[in-house]
Amino acid sequence: MRLGRDGVIGLICFAVSLALLVQSFSLPQLPLTPVGPGFYPRIVLGLLGMAGLGLLLQDLLAARADGPVSGGEPRPTAGVHRRVILLFGIIAAYVLLLPVLGFRSSTALFVLALQPAIEWPVTARAWAAVVAIAIATPLAAYLVFEKYLLVLLPRGSLTGW
Amino acid sequence: MLEPLGNGILTIVQWQYLLPLFLGTLIGVVGGALPGVTITLTIIVLLPFTFGLDPLQGLAAMTGVYVGGSAGGLITATLLGIPGTPSAIATTFDGFPMARNGEPGRAIWLGIWSSFFGGLLGGLFLILVTGPLAAIALRFGPWEYFSLFVLALAMVAGLAEGTLLKGLISAGIGLVVTMVGSDPIGGIPRFAFDSDFLRGGFPFLPVLIGVFAFSQIMTDVESLGRPKSGQAGAALARSSLSASHLKTIGEILGRPLLLLWSTVVGILIGVLPAVGGSAANMLAYDQAKKLSSHPDRFGKGTPEGIIAAESANNANVGGSLVTIMAFGIPGDAVTAVMLGAMTIHGIQSGPLFVSQNVELAYGIYAAYIVAHPLMVAIMAVSALIMLRVTQVRLSVLAPVVLVLCVVGAYAVGNTMSSVYVLVIFGAVGYALVKTGFPLAPLILGLILGEQIELNLVRSIMTDDDPWLFVTRPISGGLLLAAALSVALSVWQHLRHASRTRKVEADF
Repeated sequence: MRLGRDGVIGLICFAVSLALLVQSFSLPQLPLTPVGPGFYPRIVLGLLGMAGLGLLLQDLLAARADGPVSGGEPRPTAGVHRRVILLFGIIAAYVLLLPVLGFRSSTALFVLALQPAIEWPVTARAWAAVVAIAIATPLAAYLVFEKYLLVLLPRGSLTGW
Repeated sequence: MLEPLGNGILTIVQWQYLLPLFLGTLIGVVGGALPGVTITLTIIVLLPFTFGLDPLQGLAAMTGVYVGGSAGGLITATLLGIPGTPSAIATTFDGFPMARNGEPGRAIWLGIWSSFFGGLLGGLFLILVTGPLAAIALRFGPWEYFSLFVLALAMVAGLAEGTLLKGLISAGIGLVVTMVGSDPIGGIPRFAFDSDFLRGGFPFLPVLIGVFAFSQIMTDVESLGRPKSGQAGAALARSSLSASHLKTIGEILGRPLLLLWSTVVGILIGVLPAVGGSAANMLAYDQAKKLSSHPDRFGKGTPEGIIAAESANNANVGGSLVTIMAFGIPGDAVTAVMLGAMTIHGIQSGPLFVSQNVELAYGIYAAYIVAHPLMVAIMAVSALIMLRVTQVRLSVLAPVVLVLCVVGAYAVGNTMSSVYVLVIFGAVGYALVKTGFPLAPLILGLILGEQIELNLVRSIMTDDDPWLFVTRPISGGLLLAAALSVALSVWQHLRHASRTRKVEADF
């Protein structure tokens, strides 16, 4: 029998709950309190595991009844899927670059990369706007946050700022 | 009560508070008018700016966003037929037809003034009820708090879109996230797997920002290029929005029962945890249609539809603020961000909040009241300009919003680990949305997780008799309500499933 998406999620939910539940029994007992640090997690994980199991069963029953596949929004097309993965990749690269290059440089690169990834500029004027926004965003954020509001921004190990 | 409120208003109208309130309201109106940008996303964007302000300045700005955002959605809903926020969905039903029928000024001003009156009535409720509710909350022991939080989770899991099981799992994930790090009683490391990153736990705000902002932006990116409804309204954007204000106000106040009932619906939905303005907007519209002597006019541009929808979504703001100020429980994600900002400023929320922070509490009331005329003024000057703002491309908006999310997350603890948490939970939030899991229960689980554990353990430490949860009248009543809420949700699901089967069989 083939599992649907909900079934897979239910199974993962059940397995993770079970693994953490087992781990909760190895937590030490506190001397002054009647219940230890594992008491509450065991209740929540027990319920979560049961809900996961319920979702799995619901999915199996739905598959047997040949009912509509439940859950989620309509699937995006492959192109949209690729774009979302690309965006997450750019965000991950940005977060990794932040402690190396610092806020200003990495933010400029991030904004420069993200804009065409969302919507490809077709004219020279659009490209100029992309570059201008990439420069203006970190600059404005630096002036407003670090200079005016005294909110610290990430510093780079390579640049020192 | 009147004296501290008067002092609060005198404080708020000073420029150092009025300016953040005005800017917050303006940003709220813009965020509300932008389709695809919710009030939650707008307040998340504003969050890092509040870190450098004093608590009342920051909370005034956030209150302004909440009020402005709840009203701003009506601009695009009325003139383009596209709701700017989910809380303006029902406004499109009659606002857009009225505008298309040659009365855009009347349509938009009916919405604005209904928001104004609904919001102010919600404010009256906020001011009158918060104190007495907080006094009741002070009599709560850990049993009652535990049961109250369980009720909140049960209601949210049941009321959220999708199945009850998915709602419960979503709430459970939120609770599990709060368990990682160390236990709140003894500080023993828990589920940290010898990792320094996990030992500190997951800070609340980066998780909240990640889950909400990323899922929202990625969903917006997915919808790029899809045809949007309401393009026929583009011509309306160039029309005049002038209307007789006296006549419009007369139209609203001439229907006092409709205004009051829609406001009550909005307030009650606002008081319920994590059920937001969209439910208030839709439910009030539905109620107005059912109670109307001419329901056939609904959907064709009747003023009743606009009055009900817009008064309810702004009254909803007052209701949400009651929950957070009396109990310390955020009514929705917007007030959850406000709670996070309060925590960063070292302010303890809960039933003692109003009595221990009189100036701040009445400052928030005053900000809420003053935000309404500001909202009307902003709308009067800039409703048509806002329509131009809504043309801002997502490719410009998304990077700026994401950068502000990173700044907000980093500022929570000035460490990169908060930014890593932001991105990790951004991916988790997006995955949950794509697999049909509602986010509201997860957020509430995150907010309440530690408090549920603390109150459960405290109650057992006080008396280890578990029956006290049931035999103490308030606690027992709350648990019974939680059980009824789950049962009602299951019943509704079964009824829906049986109806669907019947329709399929008939077909």
